[in-house]
Amino acid sequence: MAYLHLFGPDGVAVPRLVTLDIFHMETGGCTGCAMELRSLSRALVAARAAIRFVPTPRQAALLLVTGSLTVSMAPVVEQAWQAMPGPRSLAAVGDCAVDGGLFPPNYAVLGGVARHAHTSLLLPGCPPSPAEILRALVDWHTSGEQAGTV
Amino acid sequence: MNGDDAAALIRTGGRTTCAARFVLTPDRWLDMAHALSRTTMPLLGLWADGVQVHALFMDGEASLIASVAVTDGRYQALSPMRAGAAAHERIIHDLWGIAAMGSHDDVPWLDQGRWPVTWPLRDRPPPASAAPDGEEFTDDIALQQAGGVVLGYGPADGGFDSPFHLRLGTPGERITQVTTRMGYAHRGLCARMRGLAPAQAAQLAARIDATATMAHQLAFFRALAAVTGTAMDGISAAGVVLGEVERIATHLDCLMQAAERVGDVRFASLAGELLEYVRETCRAQYGRRLLLDRLLPGRAVPPYDLSPAEEMIRALQTGRAELRRLFRRPRGLAMQGRDLGILSADHARRWGIMGCVGQASGIEYEPRPSLPGYRTHRVGDVGEGMGDVTARLAIRLHEIGLGVQRLSAAHETVMPASIPSFSDGTGEGIGHAEGPSGPVWHWVRLEGGRIAAWWCGDPSLARIQALPDILRGATYDDVGLIVTSLGLSAAGADL
Repeated sequence: MAYLHLFGPDGVAVPRLVTLDIFHMETGGCTGCAMELRSLSRALVAARAAIRFVPTPRQAALLLVTGSLTVSMAPVVEQAWQAMPGPRSLAAVGDCAVDGGLFPPNYAVLGGVARHAHTSLLLPGCPPSPAEILRALVDWHTSGEQAGTV
Repeated sequence: MNGDDAAALIRTGGRTTCAARFVLTPDRWLDMAHALSRTTMPLLGLWADGVQVHALFMDGEASLIASVAVTDGRYQALSPMRAGAAAHERIIHDLWGIAAMGSHDDVPWLDQGRWPVTWPLRDRPPPASAAPDGEEFTDDIALQQAGGVVLGYGPADGGFDSPFHLRLGTPGERITQVTTRMGYAHRGLCARMRGLAPAQAAQLAARIDATATMAHQLAFFRALAAVTGTAMDGISAAGVVLGEVERIATHLDCLMQAAERVGDVRFASLAGELLEYVRETCRAQYGRRLLLDRLLPGRAVPPYDLSPAEEMIRALQTGRAELRRLFRRPRGLAMQGRDLGILSADHARRWGIMGCVGQASGIEYEPRPSLPGYRTHRVGDVGEGMGDVTARLAIRLHEIGLGVQRLSAAHETVMPASIPSFSDGTGEGIGHAEGPSGPVWHWVRLEGGRIAAWWCGDPSLARIQALPDILRGATYDDVGLIVTSLGLSAAGADL
């Protein structure tokens, strides 16, 4: 029955995804977004989906950041970014990563990573649900494939 | 002078607007410190407001706060008598520049040298020197002689936990040296709280740690209620019900992660399904999957029923029975976690560890049975008392059962229509709630309805201090499982 899922609700064929490897970093929030990502990750593994979370930036094409960027995590994010091979993208998930949310800049926090670097994917929410995150990732990934940028 | 004299000595101090807080002279503070060496009265927290340093103790079933004025930027350290005070003293120095005389360790705890200012909570913090190019660690002689490998754990491993770093000296198969490095998740919450209205501050309190957001909301709310003497029976009952749902979800999450780490797919799948069921039920019934912002001061909404859905209760009862069977089966999670990451009762007392981790180490008595939301059960109830990973996970499994029992009896619990705003409160108060990983404390000082000073005590800080004792002798492959079983949250510890 799996072939039934090859079509979306509107009858349009769902494109087959090139594998998307994501390296996640929690950079200083309440970890609510990270908890929702864990739920998503578990579902993706169970479904053997073409989107997966990897344990090292050296395997990743997308760096996904949650939480407001703390001063101490900034060099860690920079190192992870530099370790990513080839074409790479940055995603900010959750209000904190987008614009700082309830944790705007102060002595310990730089604010949302999206305020400091070009991001390919922005998803606000406090926190966004796993379904919302998945939809955003799939939409971004398929649009990138169609544009030939992934 | 016997042990009880420490509490009696504190009560001889000057009274304050907070009924549990007494101000001691530096000499009396020193006497108290000496008296602590002859008593087991647990230290639950230590913090500063720039003018005074405060120490929170539990005397029997009552909380007791001793305060001393900061003189010439110093105060007498408590860490020689209470090892768990060491991190608090280092944090006070990082944030305020107030030194603890007699402390054995003055290495920064939060400040990694990258903040633009030094002692940021002072009125006029001095600028910081240039950030370091790299991190410097000092290995002990045993590790240097062994010439072994040093392995890192965190702060970025692609996982979903809040960031912290462990430097693990591994001369052979076993870890001999553990150095923790914190501050990655520090958001400056004490500075952010100042000047906020209670409703705004409650949003921050809810986001200290998402795994214990209801506990933090409830403790913060109780602290505000203590300031104004507001009765909050209905709200407290609502908070306890929501806190029980949160406890079940957090325990399921912890058990699922542990099962994933040892490759127990059946256990992990079932725990994950139950967790998702609970979260979706929360979204449908309470409006949020993670229960953020359920207790906002001044919020007025139509009262809504908090009685847990019957379907969820039944699913949890059935699912927990199956989880217990899977947990105990041959080559199951219980067998794979046995004798790993042992935290002895002595070490648990030394670091002031409470909650499910302390109980798994055989600490059967905690002096908090009269506090609302507290659960009391002996370690013998679950057949464990070794303080290892299996004992900690078994306690969590056991607490899921207790939580389901409690929820099934929580009929007709209603969230009140309006929540006090505390918009004109002035004074001090302290509040407590029993979180999934242990007791959470909030102390607040209000001036004209605005936060003038605030402190939060999260159980993760004591556990992180105990990590060297817990991890010493483990293999590197077991570190993840041990850390997961402890339920650590760097976000809660760093604030």
